[in-house]
Amino acid sequence: MTEPHILVRSLSKTYHVPERKEGLLAAMESLVHRRYRDVKAVNDVSFCIEQGEMVGFIGPNGAGKTTIMKVLAGLLYPTSGEVRVEGFVPWERKTEYLRSISMIMANKNRLAWENTTLDSFKVLAAIYRMSHAEFRSVLDELIDLLEIEQLLHKLVRNLSLGERMRCELAAAMLHRPRVLFLDEPTLGLDVSMQLRLRHFLAEYNRRVGATMILTSHYMADVTTLCSRVILIDQGKLLYDGDLTGLAERMAPFKLIRLSVDDSQGQSMREIEGAVLSAKYQVTIIDRADRRLTLRVEKARAAAILTHVLGELPVVDISVEDPPIEAVIDQVYREGVWL
Amino acid sequence: MNLRGGWELIKKSYLGWMASRGFFWTLTFGWMVPSLLYLFVWVAVAGQGQIQGSTRDDFIVYYLCLIMLNQFTYPVCNWTVGDSIRMGRLSDWLLRPLPVMFEAIASDIAMKMVCTPFAVTVTVVLAFFLRPAVHFSPQSVLFFLLAFLLAQVLRFLMAYTLALLALWNSRADALLDLNDSLVFLLAGQVAPIALLPGALRALAAVLPYRYMLGFPIELLIGRLSTTEIWQGFAWQCAWVIGVLFLYRFVWKHGLRHYTSVGG
Repeated sequence: MTEPHILVRSLSKTYHVPERKEGLLAAMESLVHRRYRDVKAVNDVSFCIEQGEMVGFIGPNGAGKTTIMKVLAGLLYPTSGEVRVEGFVPWERKTEYLRSISMIMANKNRLAWENTTLDSFKVLAAIYRMSHAEFRSVLDELIDLLEIEQLLHKLVRNLSLGERMRCELAAAMLHRPRVLFLDEPTLGLDVSMQLRLRHFLAEYNRRVGATMILTSHYMADVTTLCSRVILIDQGKLLYDGDLTGLAERMAPFKLIRLSVDDSQGQSMREIEGAVLSAKYQVTIIDRADRRLTLRVEKARAAAILTHVLGELPVVDISVEDPPIEAVIDQVYREGVWL
Repeated sequence: MNLRGGWELIKKSYLGWMASRGFFWTLTFGWMVPSLLYLFVWVAVAGQGQIQGSTRDDFIVYYLCLIMLNQFTYPVCNWTVGDSIRMGRLSDWLLRPLPVMFEAIASDIAMKMVCTPFAVTVTVVLAFFLRPAVHFSPQSVLFFLLAFLLAQVLRFLMAYTLALLALWNSRADALLDLNDSLVFLLAGQVAPIALLPGALRALAAVLPYRYMLGFPIELLIGRLSTTEIWQGFAWQCAWVIGVLFLYRFVWKHGLRHYTSVGG
């Protein structure tokens, strides 16, 4: 049996971090007696990823996503566990391994600030030992995908954020990595630029068959690009599967959207009172004009629907699954309860 | 070894440094000032006589050589490497299939390419006005070139190793400043080593600093006996090997620490 492209088995990572109480006295005390606390950033995480898969790491801030990604890229030694990417142990940082991966971290520059974009690309081509013909061919492809022709002769420090991110992506892809670690690649970009980068990543994955792991706080990045998500919270893996399955497991509720006829003179307070008089739990999550959006338990949706239709002069009604963004938002705000 | 990658890094750094050449030329002049001050002090003290066998011309030649040598051997990794560790740029270097030291070596060479024209101009102008009598034997020049090469390696490795201590505490600046002060005191900048008081002279002979600056110049101006020459080379080689081992130890354990705490 062949080994998966990325194999993570019982991975744990504990940080040993200094801490002290606030104030001058505590600061002086810490000079002679430093206290440390162990923070378990990753706790017994296991998963496998096959060649060409695009997987989204999701979870609240501090969940351990970036730590796992840094271990996979070879920037961190784990405390325990087994990790193999393309058959390599990442933290041994073998040259062959480093030539096959790339990592994009938000707000980190790999382009030289005082040089032109093209000069920076040439440095990378030399570092990755690309022939001139190979460099030209890949660069032409990237120019086409990312529309960066006009930016090649600009100084990197003169690029706008969106332009720089496109060039950073090109720099990261120049050596045609087979494994990509993308940590918040669209952070700070406007909607149009986010769309273009998503399109580029999907196209790159299709053309090269690269394996990609993505973390992003823009759920659209994950929903557009990743058929599979891994949910991490407090260092533990809580879900590994497709997005639909995640919504099913994490959001056992439906959204009922209704509009009420205003010819009968009922006030919104009376309408809401009628909705909430149902014997099942109903949460009004949005109200505008004479429209309401209700969150109800999936199993009780039919009964609540009957109740609402019986009590109110409804002119329009629909029942929907909550959007994945809302599900994830709920998880981040209220915690994970799988 | 990826020499093409190394060369492109040098070009990249050179273009980057050249964009701020005014700043770096000012910096170069700043490095020259202490040597210039001591040049004029010793020339004034020597007057038309001698100090322990050294004439006015000897001091002029010594300090002009020192200005150039200091310029050529000054390691910019003193600040670039420590800053890169503190600002997190080291993570980017670690992700590249190229030894991390290449970046520091490239910066070092590029900085010398930027600053050398300025340093040479100042030295030539000074030599024109001060007009010292100069005579270097071919053997002295040969010994000097060898000692200069070793001095360059020693000074770079020492600064690089100290800068790598930032892998533990993220601030190695103070230690680098201390190292610079010791170079100033014990490498032959305040005075040629032969003119230092007894205990300090003995200390300078065994510490690495003399072999970063003073020793190559002493070889060039031909003031050392054959025994002193070979003893000097032995100390210089021993320090290069010693600091190389220290570098390997610091890098291995420092990197392990850096990659244990978050990169």
